[in-house]
This record gives sequence, structure tokens and C-alpha cells, in this order.
Amino acid sequence: MKLLRRIALYTGLAIAAITFIYPFLWMASSTFKLPAEVGSLALIPHDPTLDNYRTMWARAPFGRALLNSTFVATTITLTVLVFGSMTAYAMARLNFRGRPLLNAATMAVLMVPGQLTLIPLYTLIVQLGLIDTYTALILPYLFNATAILMLRQFFLQIPQSLIDSARMDGMSELRILFTIFWPLSKPVLSIVAIFTFMGAWNEVLWPLLVVRDQQVMTLPQLLTVFALGGGAGTVGVSLASAMVLVVPVVVAYMFLQRNFIESMAGSGIKG
Amino acid sequence: MRAEQKPGSLMAAPYAAYLLVFAVYPIAFALVLVFLQWDLVTAPSFAGTDNVRLLLHDGRFWRAVINIFVFLTIHVPLQIVTALALALALNRPLAGRSFWRAAFFLPVVISGAVVAILWSNLYATDVGLINKLLVKIGLSPVPWLTDPRTAMPAIAVMVTWKNVGFYVIIYLAGLQYIPKSCQEAIEIEGASAWQRFRYLTLPSLLPQTILVVTLSTINGFQLFIEPYVMTGGGPLRRTYSVVLYLYNNAFAYQKMGYAATIGVALALIIGIVVFTQRRLIGKAEAL
Amino acid sequence: MPSVTFEHVRKTFGDATVVEDFDLGVADGELLVLVGGSGSGKSTILRMVAGLEEVTSGTIRIDQRDVTALLPRERDVAMVFQDYGLYPHMTVRENLSLGLRLRKIPAQEISRRVTWAAEMLGLEALLDRKPKQLSGGQRQRVAMGRAMVREPKVFLFDEPLSNLDAGLRAQMRIEIGGLQRRLNTTTIYVTHDQVEAMTLGDRIVVLADGRIQQVGRPIDLYRAPINRFVAGFIGTPPMNFVEGGLRGDNGQVIFIAEGISIRLPSAKTAKATVAEPLTLGIRPEDLRVEFREDASGATGPPDEALTGRVVLVERLGGTSHVHFDLGAGSGRMMASASNDHLPEVGEAITVRVLTDRIHLFGTDGSAISN
Repeated sequence: MKLLRRIALYTGLAIAAITFIYPFLWMASSTFKLPAEVGSLALIPHDPTLDNYRTMWARAPFGRALLNSTFVATTITLTVLVFGSMTAYAMARLNFRGRPLLNAATMAVLMVPGQLTLIPLYTLIVQLGLIDTYTALILPYLFNATAILMLRQFFLQIPQSLIDSARMDGMSELRILFTIFWPLSKPVLSIVAIFTFMGAWNEVLWPLLVVRDQQVMTLPQLLTVFALGGGAGTVGVSLASAMVLVVPVVVAYMFLQRNFIESMAGSGIKG
Repeated sequence: MRAEQKPGSLMAAPYAAYLLVFAVYPIAFALVLVFLQWDLVTAPSFAGTDNVRLLLHDGRFWRAVINIFVFLTIHVPLQIVTALALALALNRPLAGRSFWRAAFFLPVVISGAVVAILWSNLYATDVGLINKLLVKIGLSPVPWLTDPRTAMPAIAVMVTWKNVGFYVIIYLAGLQYIPKSCQEAIEIEGASAWQRFRYLTLPSLLPQTILVVTLSTINGFQLFIEPYVMTGGGPLRRTYSVVLYLYNNAFAYQKMGYAATIGVALALIIGIVVFTQRRLIGKAEAL
Repeated sequence: MPSVTFEHVRKTFGDATVVEDFDLGVADGELLVLVGGSGSGKSTILRMVAGLEEVTSGTIRIDQRDVTALLPRERDVAMVFQDYGLYPHMTVRENLSLGLRLRKIPAQEISRRVTWAAEMLGLEALLDRKPKQLSGGQRQRVAMGRAMVREPKVFLFDEPLSNLDAGLRAQMRIEIGGLQRRLNTTTIYVTHDQVEAMTLGDRIVVLADGRIQQVGRPIDLYRAPINRFVAGFIGTPPMNFVEGGLRGDNGQVIFIAEGISIRLPSAKTAKATVAEPLTLGIRPEDLRVEFREDASGATGPPDEALTGRVVLVERLGGTSHVHFDLGAGSGRMMASASNDHLPEVGEAITVRVLTDRIHLFGTDGSAISN
């Protein structure tokens, strides 16, 4: 009886897992298929071809977009980590006037749906003449309230004695933060790094608003424009462009999936 | 400013400045924009309550709101049931547990744009994978994205698929908190598997279910890239989401004032819905 | 006819044997205590009776019925857990009645039993509260009530008092004992606290490393421990042990260790071999402190006494404990003394040994003096 239930369980799980993985496998294999074959269910192409990739690469600046995305996402992640921990440190361990207000404001920000501030921010960017710039893509994301709260929570738990002895040794607060707190905060820093990077990498609405120039577009944005704008032509080509976006993420995911899960689920639960 | 407050103030100042510019100012200006007409090229002009009155009578806007409610009615219950079922299945000593978990979580990390493009192809009426499978087992193909009755449901199923891994993790965490002694006690008390679920597991997961409902509702109201990529809002405007309408007003029609009005209205609607949900669930818990 | 029977019950986890050949019968209405340290197997045995652990080999019977392969809910047992296992989202009344509702017992009967249990445990005022609003002692009572309303064949208690503070523990001990006697339900009670075992148990099973060390009534375990482990485990304060050997001297048998020479009655040494190393055990309450000043009016023969120097005096209220060092490195011992005349630290004292209360243990730990 028990054996039967186990078999049923594993079968059910396997079927479910297939529905989650198979579409990506099909997508991947379709990118190697000729147009005629694309619709087939088969996972191994009859006549594998790189045409789709060549076409895609030629028709739109995907290499450039990849660089753009990498640059933007990395910059955002770095600033969130550095400035975010500075802020979190100040909020957790330093006294300053207005600290409770800042705290409350940070939590309030989390409650506001992004769509409310979308238009005013857009007009601001336009007024500042920052359309089609990397600045526009990065600036609104310099600080991340969820990250700050998470870091603050973690920093609260580091013993005061470490700070006291460092201060007595004459260390400045910034040095304390980066030489003492940071090494101790590796787990939370990596969680913040992952969900910030992934959020920035996948963000598409904001770029669609502030960037028109294909040379400045991020990868998901270019992909969307390309797929919708008819530039793709065939399914194979549009899926090939999607692959450029997906493959780095999947590779990273395969190695770091525990960190990914911990990070994105953890941030969601807190946010 | 006292000396010992200096480092704190300095370190917190950048964030305070950021909040002013990117949080306080936009929220305030959004409310101002509601009363303006502006195309970003010419100077803004005062519009009084025009935008608000327009919105209240705007068929497209309310169509979009109804669309979202259609979406939520399918998405939220489906999300709860699938996430819970998978979490229960995974919550036991299994071979390859991290593999299963990773498989279900994979779509969560993939960009929404990619998922939308992928499923556009899966849902394609003639060459789409789903219809091909249906034909193989003897059913007739369904025009998923071109039939006004099935388009939004189709998107709802896709979004459920994409996010379920996330909610599985939330439910799994909740399941860990059910004390082992309670589980053993209810077994000894005579509960069958179903009774254990009904009297212990499900009630214990109430906080998680509330979270699932709230997050997936907010997520649903913010629907954008899926209709943008898959249907452009059609067929017959049945997949037109509120954010899509907002985007078009800003980007395509250049109506900043009106777009901002939509944004404010959306924020209000989300607030009311989430608040009501929490009250209702709170009442249900008390029963 | 025994109520619960263990027939050569054995439990292994992979390579490790956690319970070895547990063979025992529990009488109807008896309160049997399983006592031992962590890893002794006591909880595992209890959980096997409940059906929460599988039996590797052997049989468990309840009222002659073989339950070894049955699910917990088919066994008609009820269990009280260390952390109580109360359902947090249900009221006390619902916690008490769930088991009965699951078994489709009519509402009137449920109400009668819940009221009966609530009255017996003093829970009437708490019936509509949730567990998180209750104190530890109250939760404990609800857990017991939940077991009682089921009117099961066997009660199983898994260290129910471990999470309570000392004062409450003492009080609950008495209540549980009284309750069990009134209900007369067969009870198996697991604890690591030998005081609980001694006060509650009709019989005690001392366990170590998955094996039964000794089974018997509390007083039997106290007076006639079968090995060194049981001797050192049972009884507060714990027994003193000294390593040494026997020597024959003019038909007398003398126990010799560094700085110790004690003549032992022949009844105790009948089974011992002279010149073989063994351990002498004597409880603190069987050592009497005498004082140098009284030596002239000695109360007993000097060859039944120890000499030493006081190291510490623990004043505990009723009796006190005098810790003293024996002469040349035989270690330290403890004697109980009444508060009327206590020595000072550093004082030299003579301690009388009540030699008919000593225990001798061989190198394998087993008692050879009984």
C-alpha cells in the first residue's frame, strides 16, 4: 500500500516537473530548428541549424543589449549593496535625528504600488533630459527599501562590543561597516545581491518608458520590441532572442539554485 | 547637530535625499498631475477635475478593471490550490527533493517577457504546442489568445504557472512550523489523512494563505508585460490590463495627466481590495 | 492478564540498535515508569507503543491484541507530549473534543466527557481560550484532558513535566499520580528525572543504551540495585563509590582502598572474591558524621569508620550534605547530616559507615553484595 502511494507521488511530481521544465526545453530546441519544423513536439531537431541565431544577431543589437543589461544590473546591485548597507548601518547602529521617521518612510514606501510613481518619475526623467541614458535606467533603483530593511534587520543583531572596540581603536563608521560588518553579513548580502540583480535584469516596464534607442535598450526590452515589432519574422528567431536572456539566468540558477530560492522567496516574504 | 549624530546623518543622508526625489516627490506630483493636462512637449495646463470625471466614465478603464478581476478570480484560487498541493507533496523525505524544488521554482527567476513570448507560442492556435497536444489526444484546438472568452483565463493560467514555485516555498516554510507533536497527536486521536489536512494543516497555514492571496492579488493588478506581449490588450479588449492602459496613455497618447490619474486610481483600488480581503479572511478565521 | 505486553521488541535505526530485546508485561491499571538518560531508548519504546515508530522486530500487544502493525489511530491509546501538542488554532474545548468528533461520537456524549475532564482538571473557566493564552501548567492539563476524554486503553506520557519549572513540576507530579489512581488506566510514563520515577511509579524500568538495567518497585531499586548504573542513578543524593578490594584478615573480610579500611559483614561478602578489584557503594544517608571531640565516647568500632577532612558543607534546610576528602587520594565522599551539629570546613571528622547498607559491585558493574 505504501509503495503504491510512493509511486503515485513520484509520478505526479514527475508530471508536474515536466510541465515546468519541458516548455523551456522545447523553446531551446526550437531555436535550432528550421521554420518548417518549429511547431513539432520533438525535442531533437532533424536538421539542427544556427540560422535563427544568426538572423536574430544580425537584425537587432542583442550583443549590445546583453552588455547594457549586465552593466545596468551590476551597477544597480553594487549601489544597492554599498549605499544600502550604509543606510542600513546608520539606521541600525547610529543615532541621528529623524531616524524613526526614516524607518517609517522606508516601510511606507513598500506599501505604495510602483504604478503610482511611474508617471511622475517618467516626467522627471523627460524634464531632466535623461531619456535614452543609462542614468535613467539606474537612478530610480539606486536604493531598495526591501534590501535596506533586510540589511538593517541583520545589522541589528551584530554585537555592540565589536563596534565599541573598533571605535576605541579609532575606526571611522564607514570602516567599521565595510571591514567588520560586511564579512559577517555574507549570507544576507548574497541574498540581497541575488534578488536585486534578478529584479534589475528582468525589469522591462521602466526601460520601455524611458529608452527608445535600440543601442541603449536592456535585453528583455530589446527582446520584447523585437518579438512584437515583427523584426523576428519567425518563431525560431524570436525564441532565439529569448534564449539570450534566459541562458545566463538558467546557468546561474543551476549552480546557485539554493541561493536563488532563499533570496527571492525570502525577500518576497518580508516585502 | 550634535557631534555623535554626525556620522549617522551623513550616512543616511543619501537615502533621505533619494526618498525625497524618488518617493515623496513622485507621490505628491502624481496627485498634482491628476489635475493637469500635459503632453510633455508643451507646458502643462490646468484641467480641474476633468481627468477624474473622464476616468469615472471611461469605458476602457473600467473594462480593464473588470479584466483584472476576471484574471484574479481564476488566478488566485488556482494559485492557492496548486502551490498548496505541490508544497504538501514536497513536504516529506523525498529522493531528489532539491531537484523538484528547483524545477518548480525555475519559472520564477525567468523574465516575464520571456515567459510571455514562450507561452504566446505555446498558445498559438495553429502551431502552438498545447493545441497540438490536444489534437493528439483527440480534442479540437482552442483559439486560446484570440477568443475573447479564453484569452484572459489563458493568461491567468500562465501567470499561475510562472509564480507557483514562489508560493510553494512560502507554504513549505509554513508547513515546517506545524509542531511535530501536533501532527502526531492528531494521528493518535484518530484522524485520517484528509481529516489531518482539514483540521490541522489547512488552519495552521492561514497566515501563508493570506500572504499568497495578498501578493498574487497585488501582482495581478500590476499585470503588464503579459498582455503587452501576448495580445496587445485584445481580443475585444478582454486582456487589456490597467497598467497597460496607463502605459499607453503615457507613451502612446502622451497624456500625462490622465495617465497619472489612472495610476492614482489603481493604487486606490489595490488598497481597497487588499484591505477588504484581509478583513474578510480575518472574519473567516474567527468562525 | 497484562494490559500491555512487549515481546522481545527491538528497534534499529540503520546500523545503530536503539532498543535491545525489550521484554516486559505491564499490568492492568499499573503506572509503569521508563527512566534513563538521553539515548537510553525510553522515548523510542513509548513511541513504538503509540505506533509513531516502527518496530524492527518483536511484538507489542495491548490487551492481548497484536498491535505491532497497526496505525496509531487503530490502537486506542492516548499520548501526552513534552510540548503538549495542543492545536494552536483551536480553543481548549475544541482541543479536548477533536478526537471524539473524529470518531463520530454523539454530541451529547462529547459534551459530557469534556465537562467531566474539565472539572477533574480545573479547566472549566478556560474552555473557550486558545492555547497561547494559557500558562505551561494549564496547557499540560489540557493535554492530559485530551487524553482522558478518549477513555483509551493506555495512557502514554512522554516527559510531560520537563518544560515546567521545578515548583510546578512537583505539584503536577502529585496531581498526575492522583489522577492515574482515580482513573485506573494503564499508564506508561517516560522521564529522565529519577525523582519523578520514584514518586510516581508502581514499577520502574531503568534503561541505559537501549537495555533494561532493572525492573522493580521503587523501594526495591533503591535498596537492592542490580548494578552500579542503577545504584548511581536511583536515589538523591547519589550514592558514593570507592574503588578498592577485599582482604581476608583472621576470618574477617576487610575492604581496602587508599586511606580506607572497613570491616564488612560476611553476608555482604559471600559472593565476592578476595583480592579482586571491586567497587564499594554507600549512600550518603548511610554515612554518619562523628566528631573528634566525641571519639572518647565512641559510638562504634573504629574499623567501621572513615576519616577525612571536610571540604564543603551544603546546608539545604532539612538535612545537609557534608563533602569530605578521604585521606590519601581516595577521592571525595558525601555524607548526609542533620542540621543539629554540622562540622566546619577544614575540620577533621570521623564518618561512621552503616556496613549492612553497603553495596559491592564487581568489575562488570553487577552487584555482588545482595
